[in-house]
Amino acid sequence: MTVISLTRGGGADAASGAPPRRRRGRIALARIGGGLAVLVPIVFLSSFITYCLGALSNSNPAATILGQDAATPAAVARMDKYLGLDHSLLVQYWNWLVQAVHGNLGRSYFTQIPVSQSISQRLPVDLSIAILAVILAVVIGGTAGTIAAIRRGGWFDRGVTVVCSAVSTLPAFVVGIILVVLFAVSVHAFPANGYVGPTAGVGPWLSHIFLPSLALSLQVASDIARQLRTSLVQVLDQNYVTGAKVRGLPYRRILVRHALRNATGPALVILGYDFPQMLAGAVAAEAVFSLPGLGQLLLESAETRDIPVVQGLLLVISTFVIVVNLVINTTLNFLYRTDDGVGA
Amino acid sequence: MRSVLRLPSARIAIGILAVIAILVAFGSTLAPQNPLAINANALFQGPSAHHLLGTDYLGRDVLSRLMAGTRLSVLTALEAVGIGLVLGAIPGIATVFMGRWFDFTINRISDALMTFPYIFFVVAVTAALGNGVEQAMIPVGILLAPAFFRVTRAATLEYARTQYVEAAELLGASKLRVIRVHVLRKVLPTIVVTTASMTAAALLAVSFLTFLGIGVQPPTPTWGGILSSDLDYLSQAPWAPFIPGALIAVTVGALNALADAIRDRSGAGTLVLADPVTPTDLSLERSVA
Repeated sequence: MTVISLTRGGGADAASGAPPRRRRGRIALARIGGGLAVLVPIVFLSSFITYCLGALSNSNPAATILGQDAATPAAVARMDKYLGLDHSLLVQYWNWLVQAVHGNLGRSYFTQIPVSQSISQRLPVDLSIAILAVILAVVIGGTAGTIAAIRRGGWFDRGVTVVCSAVSTLPAFVVGIILVVLFAVSVHAFPANGYVGPTAGVGPWLSHIFLPSLALSLQVASDIARQLRTSLVQVLDQNYVTGAKVRGLPYRRILVRHALRNATGPALVILGYDFPQMLAGAVAAEAVFSLPGLGQLLLESAETRDIPVVQGLLLVISTFVIVVNLVINTTLNFLYRTDDGVGA
Repeated sequence: MRSVLRLPSARIAIGILAVIAILVAFGSTLAPQNPLAINANALFQGPSAHHLLGTDYLGRDVLSRLMAGTRLSVLTALEAVGIGLVLGAIPGIATVFMGRWFDFTINRISDALMTFPYIFFVVAVTAALGNGVEQAMIPVGILLAPAFFRVTRAATLEYARTQYVEAAELLGASKLRVIRVHVLRKVLPTIVVTTASMTAAALLAVSFLTFLGIGVQPPTPTWGGILSSDLDYLSQAPWAPFIPGALIAVTVGALNALADAIRDRSGAGTLVLADPVTPTDLSLERSVA
């Protein structure tokens, strides 16, 4: 993260004696190869851990499905065969994974509803909260961090520092409860619970997801503000910023084109780092505001020990985390690509 | 350690943590009333001489419930941190000395664990093994391990390349001796800082889990469990959640402040950012060099 390019990639090529295009391509390929060598084991390992959780349970799925009366040994054996539970663990895992890649996550032991269907039914709730929370976090955290860095040492800067450390001590569900008390119970500005889809109107939808999203975003916003402040202060002290000032460029342009562009990297990394925590926070927001999201599905199926649903959820969530991190890494590589093609 | 105590923030933090420690040890004996005693004639009372922090929806004394709930809340968090410390710090040191493939494997396991948001992982484990304190705390500890692992490994790598380690190896010191004499002492401050901040993280996680009824169920008092019942009766007692909320916040804040103070005074490494997919792959770098 220390490599900060002065100029944009293309222009500096000739001047800095960059490697010829062919070698650059090879380096980029090697990097993709290296990335895959890391990525592939992670995907397999995390899905294997997910599958093993189900195998760890001492519940007897065949007996559960058949019910107490029908669970004769012969029927159980037949059911095991039907479910593929008569194979070894590795074979079971492989079959499950292949099915999952085709979008089939199995069926709930109790309701027989396909797991993928229950998940896709609940996903919009969390997606709405999470997307709005990311937007809020970037706007709140980005603004606060930038102003704090420009007015370094001023009252706003100190205020941001205090608020950030206060927020980091509060779990998302406590923030959610406080928001409910402030804006739903004392002042009836927002509904205290429930979810309305965007099909019922954008206004009601936004008012139902606003408080949960805000509860979810504060933690991330404070992390972004803190990180952005630190890196922006560093960047603003660099010689090239002084140089730009000396050249008489307008401050706004220096800030946006020179400083922010180079300071957003660490803040983006924070966003990626916080993302799994945000999904945990979404569960908290769901619990506080009683939203019918993935977290509720998880808790319900955990209570009845509905293993296929739990496994499916965990697989979807961890895949989601991996994808988000990939996107952030690609963005980072793009932001920090240097002239020899090897990103910072 | 003495220089840490010179910081006022560290002194305040240690003071707060000492109070918490006393509550952990003697909370249920010091509690003015029985935390489980129900009184139908005193529901949702505000603070009074008899009930310093008021009563809850069953007329139980809130102060007593908070004091009695401290032990379970804190000890479960400490258990998780202990598991994370053992599972993370030991491999963190070992991978540096055990060769490339071991390093690669452990790193990928750590990365894979980091793809799970803790709440999903923990609830999934309780779904498989049943709901209970151990079934909830062991997975929390397992998910804390990657953080310990990364920090310890980064710090160890830094010191394993120093000239005095090289000199010791040339003089024929065994790997164990190098670790014990030259590396461990240097890495220890980093581990202490991480332990403090991970304890804060574990407390937040544990209070949320108990809020959801994972690990510990009512009527056993825990900080998160008290918040959960407060949420159900917000219209009767909107002030109620602020008390356990503040207790969690103050404890977590004290732990974070202590971690910062030790970090400032010992110059221990800062927390290495987690990045599950393409981590700063020191293992590959090292093998090339």
